[in-house]
This record gives sequence, structure tokens and C-alpha cells, in this order.
Amino acid sequence: MIFLIEYDRRKGLINLTTFDDSERSNAENRRLQIELDLNRRGLGCEVVLLEAVSEEALRRTHRRYFESLRTLTASGSDAVASVDKR
Amino acid sequence: MLGARTPTGMAQPSKTQIDRLGDRLKKGSPNESDLISLDNYRRSFSPAYEAVVRAIRDQLDLEPTGRPGKSTRSIMEKLNRESIRLTQVQDIAGCRVVVSDMSAQELIVALIGAIFPGASVIDRRTKPSYGYRAVHLVPRISGKLVEIQVRTSLQHVWGELSEKSADVIDPDIKYGGGPDFVRDTLLSLSSALKGFEDLEYRIQRLLLQGVHHEIQDELQSFEEKLVKQKRSFAEQCHELMVTLDQIRS
Repeated sequence: MIFLIEYDRRKGLINLTTFDDSERSNAENRRLQIELDLNRRGLGCEVVLLEAVSEEALRRTHRRYFESLRTLTASGSDAVASVDKR
Repeated sequence: MLGARTPTGMAQPSKTQIDRLGDRLKKGSPNESDLISLDNYRRSFSPAYEAVVRAIRDQLDLEPTGRPGKSTRSIMEKLNRESIRLTQVQDIAGCRVVVSDMSAQELIVALIGAIFPGASVIDRRTKPSYGYRAVHLVPRISGKLVEIQVRTSLQHVWGELSEKSADVIDPDIKYGGGPDFVRDTLLSLSSALKGFEDLEYRIQRLLLQGVHHEIQDELQSFEEKLVKQKRSFAEQCHELMVTLDQIRS
């Protein structure tokens, strides 16, 4: 699956659009359209395409786009604690 | 505009044209033509990127998360930060694999290295980049570089913490700047994680040898150190949370 992410570094995730694997070209065109529009309006959001087998996988490998700093920090301890279970 | 599309595919701009585009991007406030040119350049990495992801998926049965093209903002920041040319940026396209621990990381890095024998390997575990630890392999596929990041789950947690801190507090945090306490705490966390992972790795190696009487004491000592390292890491995470709340209040 292809994920088009619009992300404001301060505010967090603005929008997430999902595309099928077969729609790469559409996704790239859409990414460019959004970026050009943001540029015309003088807005500095990040617009990026990511690919993953599922949204769940994406949220695991790119948590920055989906979680707050507090949640990420708290999860640091959880991640270490969970090592016991391996 | 570079690389205007033709029915048979994209035109190939010269290296000089691409680097001149990079020079313009460095100045900030790119115009539409430059954004389109950069997008074309980004898309030129697609075949190489797809080949890398497909190889990892098919030959290693892993599911990397891929980034077919680095964001414009990240490219511009990198050009300014590292004083490099656009054609020298080696992570325009890339993918990320997160594995459980260092034993798994060693294995996956070796396997990926076997698939792409000419890939350069940047081992940030021994030489962290401002605290960032991971292993990056960068194969060249049909003249295009693709960056493969292999992180353990703990290296990944740290990486995400650092990136998010840079997003919401100060972008310089990722590169040694930003508020002293945040930066120092992240470095300290990185060091604690390294200690933890090194111990875990040594325990795993010992267990592979079989727990014989003569190494039982050593194993117990390692496990006690591991518990202390975990506690230290949890405390530092808590301190970081408290500090972040103070900074943002």
C-alpha cells in the first residue's frame, strides 16, 4: 500500500491518503499537486509518500508522523521492559 | 525544468543540471519549475528503489517500509546542513527494516550485504551520529543509490524520539544542537541503549554456547547489569518527559 502523508512538524499529521500499490503514478502526481499548492500558499508542510504492507506496519516504522512526543517517550520504557518477554 | 516527461519516459538531465537545481534549492523558496524538476529527479530513483524493496521482500521474506522519494524539505535541509551536491545525496530513495535485537540485526545486515555485495555499509552502532545508532547499507542500482536502514526496535525508538524532538522543539536537536538538556538526555539515552544492547547480545551469545557451569556466574552478572540498564533507561525516559513538559508549558 502507498501512503501519502501531509505532515506539519509542529502540529503533527494533517492528512493521510491511501493508494493501492498499482496507483503509484497517481500517488506521485497527487503528492506533487499538494506540494505545488502548499508552495503557492507559502505553507511549509512536509508532503511525502511511504509504502508499507499495511497501515499498521507504517505506524510501527514511522511513528513520528502519527504519535506525540510524549507518547513516544513513554513508549521508550515500554520497549525496554518488553525485552524481558523475548 | 529538468526531465520533462516524454511518452517513452523521463528525460535524463545532466549531473551539472541536477547539482544546479540543488544550488537553487539551498537558497530556499523554490519556484514551481524547481519543485517539478526535483520531483522528476526523485521519480528517476523508482526503478532502483523498487528493485531493492522487491529483493528484500522476495529473498528475505521481510516487509520493509519504503520511502520512494525523500521530501523536498528534508532534501533542502540536508543540502544546507551537509554542504553537499544534490547528486551526492544518497537517501533520496530508501527503505527501513526494524528487527528485534542486535543478533537479528547482524543477521539481516549480512543477508542484505549478500544480496547487494557492492553496497557501502555505514555502521552507526560503533560511531553514532549524534546518538543515532543503526546500520545503513547503500547499494547502487543502475547508477542510483538507495539507502537501506536496519534498526533494532530500541534503536528505532531512539531514532523516532530524536526526530520527533527535532520536529516539535528544535530541528537542530538531531545534529547536536537544540536545548542542552534535551540534547544531553538523548545522548545519554543512546548510550544507555548501547550498553543495554551490548549486554543483551553478549547474553544471547552465551546462551548459544549453552549455559555451562563455568559461564553461569558470568551470565548471572550480565543479567543483573541488564536489569540496572533497563532501570536507568526508564528513568531517563521519565526525566525527558518531565523536561519536555516544562519546555512546552
